[in-house]
Amino acid sequence: MSARGSERYRNYGSVLKQHGEGKKIKTITRIFTFFFIIIALILVFIVVSRWEEKQTIKKTSMVSHQYANKS
Amino acid sequence: MSEDEIRKELLIIERSKKDAQAFGELYEKYFDRIFNYILRQTDDEELAGDLCSQSFVNALNNLKKYEFRGFPFSAWLYKIAGNEVNKHYRKNKGKKIFSIEELKVRELVEQATDDWDEELITRLLHYMNELPTEMVQVLELRFFEDKDFKEIAFILDMTESGAKMRTYRALDKLRTNFNLKVRYNG
Repeated sequence: MSARGSERYRNYGSVLKQHGEGKKIKTITRIFTFFFIIIALILVFIVVSRWEEKQTIKKTSMVSHQYANKS
Repeated sequence: MSEDEIRKELLIIERSKKDAQAFGELYEKYFDRIFNYILRQTDDEELAGDLCSQSFVNALNNLKKYEFRGFPFSAWLYKIAGNEVNKHYRKNKGKKIFSIEELKVRELVEQATDDWDEELITRLLHYMNELPTEMVQVLELRFFEDKDFKEIAFILDMTESGAKMRTYRALDKLRTNFNLKVRYNG
């Protein structure tokens, strides 16, 4: 077993390239994660505001119903 | 490794954290050692080349996490390389090997005794290749890579006393089987 053949595998350019590609993938993943978090937050906001809206409508209809009954 | 060299390396590392191109200097410096370390554990040049590249890519990817802990930078590279080899064996469910070069065995014998011949070298080579991988690994790092026990413990993820014990056991085997008195320096 000899290590003389190591020269064939010495290639910093390819290491740099792999590192660059890894970095790119990391950045893309980060952007996607950020994007999904934002989308999830918007969805939660929409659901909560709709629920609140429904609750308000329910309350107003109950109040008007009670008022109608009294009169 | 002198303090001055360590300081110089740390400066290169700091530069490399901002500019990956600067890491090339350390790559050139340690490539052969890491390649040989992997080659001894795989016995396959092509595979050693791949794992070596991957080790340097991992080192570069995690360089921001690197902190100086009193060991030379090479210890960190050896650790990454060792992890890469272990990962390869886990993935391929192969039996880990660790072979030692004849030249290195010769050096060890010359250092231990004046009374040696070719037959002893052959027997010793055969014997060392039969030793458990963990033992050969410790012997290799201690005597052929000149690592101290603290560094060996860091590279192999074990305690310093564990590394000393393993070396002592391996040397004891050599003593009893070959009458070789290799200095332990524990």
